[in-house]
Amino acid sequence: MSETSLTYKEFVLPASVVTKRDVSQLVNEAERVDSELTTATVRAHITTGVAVSPVFSGTFSDFLALNKLEFEESKARTALIKQLRLLKDNVPIIHLTFAVSADIESLQKLTAWFRQSVSPQVVLEVGLQPALVAGVYIRTTNHVHDLSLRAALAGKHDLLVKELEGLRSA
Amino acid sequence: MGLFHKQSDDKRTGDNPLAEATDQQKRFFDDYFREELRNHGRWYFDKVIKENGDLFKKDLEAVIAQVNTDLKEHVSRQLDGAIAHINATLKDHVTRQMDVQFAEYSKTMQEAQDAALKNMTDGSNELRDQYHELSSLLKDNIAEQNAMMHKAFEEHKAQLQSMDEAQSASLTALNQSTEKLQSQYQQIGQMLDTQVTEQRDQIVKAFEDNMARTVEHYILGALGDQYDLKAQLPAIVKQLEDNKQAMVDDITL
Repeated sequence: MSETSLTYKEFVLPASVVTKRDVSQLVNEAERVDSELTTATVRAHITTGVAVSPVFSGTFSDFLALNKLEFEESKARTALIKQLRLLKDNVPIIHLTFAVSADIESLQKLTAWFRQSVSPQVVLEVGLQPALVAGVYIRTTNHVHDLSLRAALAGKHDLLVKELEGLRSA
Repeated sequence: MGLFHKQSDDKRTGDNPLAEATDQQKRFFDDYFREELRNHGRWYFDKVIKENGDLFKKDLEAVIAQVNTDLKEHVSRQLDGAIAHINATLKDHVTRQMDVQFAEYSKTMQEAQDAALKNMTDGSNELRDQYHELSSLLKDNIAEQNAMMHKAFEEHKAQLQSMDEAQSASLTALNQSTEKLQSQYQQIGQMLDTQVTEQRDQIVKAFEDNMARTVEHYILGALGDQYDLKAQLPAIVKQLEDNKQAMVDDITL
């Protein structure tokens, strides 16, 4: 199985994997399916029957297809699970805080942008802060980027006061 | 039973009449007959004794009643005599005792009256002496008070004169203070006008600041409810593009 030579750094994450929780679900599903396949293989040896093919979720199927991975052999499954665990522990996380609740489509678009522009394995952690009014508050590993409307207005407070003074003088 | 007792034996003793009579007598006065006679005698004796006892009892009661009456009269007479005698004796004794006591009391009262009269005479003399002493002392005090009042009047007169002078000086100082106060009042009025102007400017400035905050708040409130994330997405992506390099550097660090 040549695909098992891939390390977690080379994995391509599907668009449906947005948060670290999704990555954890990938790991859990891989472990579950591995357990089911192992059990089925043992039963097939005993009963000389045909092993039942496993059922994957859409996200896991996309992940396997994107990375051209096989999940039939036991060794390959074990290696893949190991790499998925490493991916879960080392995946880069960007925290995004919005003023309104985020819908999944917008999150997927933002995830796609981050993976295309920043890092191919980025996942998001989403928060809600209505005081931001609009825009987004971003926190990366070492920096924060306040791209909210509140920050924009706070920066232009003096300009607004000056314009009001001009209006009063006029 | 005694008459016919031993009748069968009479046929055998018919030869000797005396013996027979003696025998008859013995048979007639046998023990039983004698017992009957004793019982009869005992009964008759009891009856006589009882009758005589009753008579004796009645006589005794009559005698006792008579004796009681006589004794009561006798005792009454004796008691009346004794009481009359005792009354007379007691009256004499009490009269004598009271005479003696009255004599003693009269003597004592006379002595007490004499002593009280003597004390009153002494007190009156003493009061007269004290009155003379107090009169002389009062005259001395009045003369002394008169001198003190005269002296105090003179002192007060001098003090009043000095107070008049001080009042004149105070009036002068008060006029000067009034003039100073007038000038200070004018200065304070000018300062107050200046401060009012400054306060007004500060209030206007604070109003402008608050107005800016109010406008900001209004804008925030108005925009916050209008845009969902889809509507904001193009602007967010544009801002992300502007900060892309910084994020890349931070992630790949």
